[in-house]
Amino acid sequence: MATRILLIGAICALLLAAPVAQTAPPQGSQPPSTKGVVIKGLAPVSDEVLKVKLPRPQEADLPNGMHLMVLEDHRSPQISMQLIVDGAGGYYDPADFPGLAGFTSAMMMEGTSTRTAQQIAQEQETMASTVGVSAGGSGENATVMVSSLKENFDKTLALASDVVLNPSFPEQELARYKTRQKASVVQVRMMPRFLAMERYARVIYGDHPSSRVMPTVESIEKATRDAMVAFHKAHYVPDRAIVAIVGDTTLAEARTKIEAAFGAWKKSGVTVPPVRDPAPVGPTTVFLVDRPNSVQTSLIVGTQAINRVSPDYDVLSLVNTIIGGGPTGRLFLNLREEKGWTYGAYSGLTAPRFRGDWSAQTEIKGDVTDAAVREILTEVNKLRTEPVPDKEFLDKKRSLVASFALSLETPTAILSNYITSRRYNLPADYWDKYPERITAITKEQVQAAAKKYLDPGHLQIVAVGDGKKIGESLKKFGPVEIYDTEGKKTGQ
Amino acid sequence: MKRVIRGAILVVLVAAVGLAASLGAQSSPKVQFLDTKITNGLRVIISEDHTAPVFSIAVTYNVGSRNERAGRTGFAHLFEHMMFKGSEKVGSGEHFLLVFNNGGDMNGTTSKDRTVYFERLPANQLDLALFLEADRMRSLDVNKTNLDNQIGTVSEERKQGVDNQPYGKTSEAVDNLAYTNAAYKHSVIGSLADLAAATVTDVTDFFRMYYAPNNAVLAVVGDVKADECLAKVRKYFESIPRQPDPPPVDMTEPPQTAERRLTIDDPLVKLARIDIVYHIPRSLTPDADALSVLATVLSSGRSSRFYENIVRQKQLSSGVMASAGETRGPGLFRSGGLVMPGKSIADLEQAIYAEVERVKTGPIENWEIEKARNIARRGFVSTLGSSLSRAIMLSQLAVFYNDPNLINTRWERLSSITAADVQRVAKQYLTPENRTVVITNPKPPAAPTPGGEPKGGL
Repeated sequence: MATRILLIGAICALLLAAPVAQTAPPQGSQPPSTKGVVIKGLAPVSDEVLKVKLPRPQEADLPNGMHLMVLEDHRSPQISMQLIVDGAGGYYDPADFPGLAGFTSAMMMEGTSTRTAQQIAQEQETMASTVGVSAGGSGENATVMVSSLKENFDKTLALASDVVLNPSFPEQELARYKTRQKASVVQVRMMPRFLAMERYARVIYGDHPSSRVMPTVESIEKATRDAMVAFHKAHYVPDRAIVAIVGDTTLAEARTKIEAAFGAWKKSGVTVPPVRDPAPVGPTTVFLVDRPNSVQTSLIVGTQAINRVSPDYDVLSLVNTIIGGGPTGRLFLNLREEKGWTYGAYSGLTAPRFRGDWSAQTEIKGDVTDAAVREILTEVNKLRTEPVPDKEFLDKKRSLVASFALSLETPTAILSNYITSRRYNLPADYWDKYPERITAITKEQVQAAAKKYLDPGHLQIVAVGDGKKIGESLKKFGPVEIYDTEGKKTGQ
Repeated sequence: MKRVIRGAILVVLVAAVGLAASLGAQSSPKVQFLDTKITNGLRVIISEDHTAPVFSIAVTYNVGSRNERAGRTGFAHLFEHMMFKGSEKVGSGEHFLLVFNNGGDMNGTTSKDRTVYFERLPANQLDLALFLEADRMRSLDVNKTNLDNQIGTVSEERKQGVDNQPYGKTSEAVDNLAYTNAAYKHSVIGSLADLAAATVTDVTDFFRMYYAPNNAVLAVVGDVKADECLAKVRKYFESIPRQPDPPPVDMTEPPQTAERRLTIDDPLVKLARIDIVYHIPRSLTPDADALSVLATVLSSGRSSRFYENIVRQKQLSSGVMASAGETRGPGLFRSGGLVMPGKSIADLEQAIYAEVERVKTGPIENWEIEKARNIARRGFVSTLGSSLSRAIMLSQLAVFYNDPNLINTRWERLSSITAADVQRVAKQYLTPENRTVVITNPKPPAAPTPGGEPKGGL
């Protein structure tokens, strides 16, 4: 297995003015950089340099265009595989047929030319194997997940290949599937988190494919066998597919198995149209989803940001970590640890091939909804106007770099880094240089990125809660549009 | 275990020989570990795994919501939150920063039966993890401000998970009706009123009684050397004084003699749901093993009987579950699902009973039994990929059953379950007089009225 040695800790430790290990409270130490935390500085922290061997997948290109990546993991007798079919995801739904990619992927499990839905289920589940296809939402890919005990991998792979290559889309199963899908549309609309995400996606992405979160009842009704057969034929092609395998196997062994299972899948020559950016968002607006009887508010505040290959990606990732990356982020420490208004508050950066978004989200005590929005805006503003204190800055960079060691225990995480490299054409040494790049980021860069992308004039505010109780208080942040839980606009 | 452990009071070396007895085609590796107690009664389990420069530590305390007293439901979980609010040498919230800023992750979790705290860190931070766990076991430092802060946080956690969710209160209603004994009758998260009533004295008393070394098991799994690790455990933990053992919990549940039934209205739901539960024995008894295979036959995956007959064929629901759960005390076999729009909840209920009866009287196919065996084995094999799941499991099995080696042997128990066993337990436990049925209905005024403004209020 090819490996690179990373010195985790070394790079960060060199940058630290004082050793990381603290055995006594630092004299005249700066006050805690964030709210809600008391730093005593008495815990033994090792500054020993950890030499980490970063394994690399072994790779091969197959004649039909598939790209094979294998990361060996011999700790247990299992093999997991992802088949990523570029161009078969919901992003490529026809504009008038949202959900078609998702319907097609789900129906692939409902019958092949030689297996019924029950046979597919019984065969895999008796082995405790997994075969699943998903392409819902607005992603660019369909993904086939396959996993099994090593001894059952051949049989499981044969089943997966049948599902991918020979789906029959039987009419009777389609009718049943549509009934279940309509039920799940009703079910998700009960959940506040879903309503918030749905509205947020519409607000940020407008008529861009990424605005689609869930198929509509209309498009479920419209789904036909012919439409799925056509979508499958046009989009399930091996030309740019990635087969990523982790487990108790080798490249040579995996290659033999994949070629046997997918040898009949012929290159199509079909290309995928380039993606487009969403239209820019407008000035700050409040979108209130009135969910009567809510006892809490689901809140999302966000805006458009960058794509994955932006030169600002690393810096904005660090910005995101500082403001909302887990229980040490400023939002968590402020809204939970200091105020006790929420169980959690986090932020996230979504950076696909096109311009993605940054958002902060929390489930917040209803009667402080407006105060929480104010705090989120204050935290955004603070990052834009004040340099991050030294200790916090170094801590955050160290956390990003050092958590690399943990990923060594989860080879799927390492492999997904290399899948990212492949998908976005990143340089060959991208992950080897990751610690250096993070370590080299300056406070000025962080502040500049916050200023550039987290523009308070264009932050969109989505609140799902009891309109009677929270609606009025949100008017101070901008014009308010009101929706019901069915997604219909009811006022402004 | 290759190393010689010096000075251990009790050393049990497990599974050094005789690997993998009866696996058919292929043998599975075993989890090997050191199991000992230090002088203050803290049980320590260490398992070396040098495949990645990472270790996990789990501390399982023998306390859960079953230990709570009346008027203080939710306290064990609220207390878990207080364990992150500072101790003698660690400031409030500093725990989070120390773990995450050094590349780790961590959490705590409370159930009816136990409370577990865990960290996963790069291999060079073993001292940090042991220090953090020892300092809070020794010297939790609680004040009113921190307590009020976490009462607020936990109240919002309850709303996020229960009060603001569709069917949020259903599980509470089920346990409240099914159980007579107070221990399992209430939910782990507890009531808002009880949470608000918690005092600093409650926290201090609870800490003294339950958070003692002799009431805990510490497990370390990963890139550590067992003898060095044990020496460090001694260094950080051994001076924490032992406390009197907490009083045992009376878990006796009187037999149920007639069906219990309740209908509740929920303004946040749009489809009715049915929950049907039956009293069953505690986990790790032969009957509980057979009931867990029964749950697989009924509801695991799309090849299951519930899915094939109720979801796919009759289309009465989009998913019907069954599970035997894991409980140290009297358990519940749980089943149920949401009704499909336009279908009747009564028909769904009868369809579930029909499948239960079909298990009792009709054949169970070989593949159904084989499926349950393979799922159990796969579950075991999967734990081998995560130091954290092994650490949690080892410490928990020691607390629950005084036998951490069950991590290696437990799945094999299911291999001996036969179709006749499954039929026997279905007949014995899944009976009308032993069941509790709760139906959750949409609250009439909150029924979907597209375009309208539903008026409802709490």
